[in-house]
Amino acid sequence: MKHYDCKYFLMTDVFKGICKRDKTTIFADDAACENFEKARKCKNCNNFTTTDDDLGLCMNKFMAYPEMNAITCNDFNG
Amino acid sequence: MASIQDFAQCTTDVYNYYGDKPEVDIQEREINKQPMTRAEKERRLYFETKSSASVEFPYWYTRRWEELEGEIPIIRRAEALKSGFSHLTPALLPGEIIAMRKAVYLRGSYPMPWLSEMFFLAKEDELYKEAQKMGKTSADEVTTMGQGGGNVTKSAGNVISIAGKFGLRKEEMPALLKIAKKWFNKSVDDVGHKYEQLVPDYQTKEEIMRAVICMFDSGYTLPQGREVMNYYYPLQYGIEGIKRICHEKQDQSAGYPDMDRLYFYKAVHSMLEGMQTWILNYAGEARFMASLEDDPVQKAEFLEIAERLEWLSENKPRNFHDALQLVWIFHVAVLNEDAISGLSPGRLGQVLYPFWKNDMENGNLTREKTLELLEAMRMKFTELDCFASMGVVGGVLSGNTFNNLCIGGLDKDGNSAANELEMLILESAMSCATPQPTLSLLFDEKLPEEFLMKGIECTKIGTGYPAWVNNRVAMEFLLNNFKNEGLGLEEARAWSIGGCLETSPGSWMPLEFDGQTHYIPGGSAPATSVGVHFISLPKVLEAVLFDGIDRRTGRRVYPAHGSKLETYEELWTVFKKYFSLTVEVLTLTNNIQHDIWGKISPSIVNSMLKPDCLDTGKDISHKGCRYNRTFNVEICGGVNLANSLAAIKKNVFDDRNFSMETLKLAIEANFGYHSALESGSFSLTEQVKTDNYKNWLKIHKLCLDAPKYGNDDKYVDNIFREWQHWFSGMCEKYRSLYDEPMYSCQISVSTHGPMGAVTLATPDGRLCGTTFADGSVSAYPGTDRNGPYALFNSATCYNHALSQNSQLNMKIHPSVVKGREGSRKFLEMIKAYVRKGAFHAQFNIVDSRMLKDAQKNPDNYRGLMVRVAGFTQYWVELGKQIQDEVIARTEYEQLG
Repeated sequence: MKHYDCKYFLMTDVFKGICKRDKTTIFADDAACENFEKARKCKNCNNFTTTDDDLGLCMNKFMAYPEMNAITCNDFNG
Repeated sequence: MASIQDFAQCTTDVYNYYGDKPEVDIQEREINKQPMTRAEKERRLYFETKSSASVEFPYWYTRRWEELEGEIPIIRRAEALKSGFSHLTPALLPGEIIAMRKAVYLRGSYPMPWLSEMFFLAKEDELYKEAQKMGKTSADEVTTMGQGGGNVTKSAGNVISIAGKFGLRKEEMPALLKIAKKWFNKSVDDVGHKYEQLVPDYQTKEEIMRAVICMFDSGYTLPQGREVMNYYYPLQYGIEGIKRICHEKQDQSAGYPDMDRLYFYKAVHSMLEGMQTWILNYAGEARFMASLEDDPVQKAEFLEIAERLEWLSENKPRNFHDALQLVWIFHVAVLNEDAISGLSPGRLGQVLYPFWKNDMENGNLTREKTLELLEAMRMKFTELDCFASMGVVGGVLSGNTFNNLCIGGLDKDGNSAANELEMLILESAMSCATPQPTLSLLFDEKLPEEFLMKGIECTKIGTGYPAWVNNRVAMEFLLNNFKNEGLGLEEARAWSIGGCLETSPGSWMPLEFDGQTHYIPGGSAPATSVGVHFISLPKVLEAVLFDGIDRRTGRRVYPAHGSKLETYEELWTVFKKYFSLTVEVLTLTNNIQHDIWGKISPSIVNSMLKPDCLDTGKDISHKGCRYNRTFNVEICGGVNLANSLAAIKKNVFDDRNFSMETLKLAIEANFGYHSALESGSFSLTEQVKTDNYKNWLKIHKLCLDAPKYGNDDKYVDNIFREWQHWFSGMCEKYRSLYDEPMYSCQISVSTHGPMGAVTLATPDGRLCGTTFADGSVSAYPGTDRNGPYALFNSATCYNHALSQNSQLNMKIHPSVVKGREGSRKFLEMIKAYVRKGAFHAQFNIVDSRMLKDAQKNPDNYRGLMVRVAGFTQYWVELGKQIQDEVIARTEYEQLG
């Protein structure tokens, strides 16, 4: 588990960001802490299935990719 | 005149100067202010942040676009935008008081494959190779990006570098490639290319692009921008109010002739719904952030943001803070619909003044709080990035986005329009010195002295703003060019600068607030600097000398002229012929690209904002704007052209010092020097001689000693004037997509770097690969030896109102303008230049040795900014081609 996958990770750029809880600067690819909670991403959604090209399908219909944020997706089913 | 010995001397001194040699120690700038705590914190974060791209918006845009196959194009486009806006991940930092941004990252942006999908594909990809064949990547290949600051110049770990600037998470790359390929043969770039090939003589266009005689295409690179925003409708009606207008207009147009109006109003309505979701997503995020917050002050600020956004998602602003937030939302919304540079907020201090004045009078706002908000606004504009190819983002923009905020000028009735809020805008630009928004002061004799002195104080901080622009010359230009569309004197006063220096027409709009009607200025024309994007004049001259061949690549660009060039007149005639051919073919191909842009990817947000699109139901690409004559022909290297023509005239034809054939041999031998590419230095200083140097020394000296522009020397100034008059006249022969005559535009932005890089030595003594003179009336570095007033005489040897702009950069040592007396002297010098009929001047107040030190030790100068050509940028984010040119510019050690 990485900060990158955490609900409380506020990205400032592709390398790093800020923890929304304690406001410290953290690196996206560093290991997450004990307060980790899964972010709403496609890979954490029951409507998402992986395909063999590092991508996936949303609702078996639309191309999607696992790391995409789904915080604004009305169809998210986590 | 400059001689080779002078340049050898420069090698020792490392820079060129006029006047007495400066003191031994590097001189700091006189004024050095600091931002307030809030902005300082954000600026520190900005300095640590890298430019970052994401795929979220293009994913949702493309997904919805595919779903709506067969739908009416403008509706399909609006729905795709709506989906993109609705799904953007909101991000809010502690301490922010103006919320929302382009994309999830602080310096976030994203590819727009519906415009062009080729440049960000892997270089091994077949599509990329196709782009190479067409010459579309030529400018990319000769551009150097800044190696420091926020640029992600190399891939590392889980981050991939795109265009030498943007970082993209590796996990997103497969999705980006898949999305990009969905747009193959469907993007504006691809469809435009299909049809531009129908233009007779299309092959010449490809050769022109390959030779980098033209910097880049127009219709799919930066199809909008270099224009002035108009914030009137949201400020007057709020989003729900505009939706109501759309509803009413829909009812009036459904089933009636000219049905495109119906689809336009429906499209605007849909897009506004997407914006409302976007705003409310941010409000939700603010409430979430508040829920995590222990600090009561910060918690209250998050809740205040949430409340404000919820209000503004429907309603018009209640106060200054609301108005500033709403302006920002619509500014970002336009930037999110297209790849755009130069989207200028215009005369924002006059637009927001009614709200500010009301708050101040009612005791709801203080000057300190205003400054805090204005500094926050500066950070927001500075954080903007434009995702584009290396040739565009590096070679033209230098990573800048050119959001020009104008102050001063005249109001609707012809009185000074300067106000107290603009004084605070100047103050915030000094305390929070950042590249964006850059400032331009619309100089008019009616402006109060106190205001002008505040402008001087700001210029002295050394960041290059405000630029000083002549209000009357701009109005004359506009009245000449837009009278056929109904522009009169009153409306001409509403003008502003779009982009770095593009004169743009505006309108006075009746804002009702606090029981009064306030006429606020705003842009009422579409993008300019579309049409023909940057023709390299020295490169055209090179083709003339070598019978139509690009000597760098050996390829034929133009039909052989077959002329022996036995007289100066013959040379000038062939030059005009080649230049005209270039303008003709590029006008036609770019008209097609813009037509395709309007069909596939029309502007919805910006169209809604621009008078009179909402009244007429026509979008920008259907001439919905009040003024539509904005296509232009941009050039670069005009001063090097004039100097070169003068050198040829003097040495080959008048004095017969050597023959044309000998000159050509000298040029091919680069006057006995290694090329800039080999030496790694892009100015005339610090060049490296070859063993054959002495063979060419005499000729090189004669070329350098020939009359040079910038010294009040009629020999060369007459040549410059002849060029200017012919150029401005010839542009009018070509018709834009909107069937309006084109006009001339003279700014270099950063193109003088890469365009110089592909050009052989020039007859004026400039060496192969070195950067051209910047701007349009700046002297070539080191050649203006007779002081500023001689330079002004040269620069005003023609009527500046003939062209959309002229551009003069000067570098002045900080000691020269020190103190109140220095400020007065400085202001008088600017006034003297403007009174000669000049359009524009801008200044770097800096010790060149500091720049040299910054080049060696970039880590010590993260915050150092310089003026390039119409924009200010962090030194470390400039490519070396431009850095070397700025260092080499003549430094004025005295103003007399």
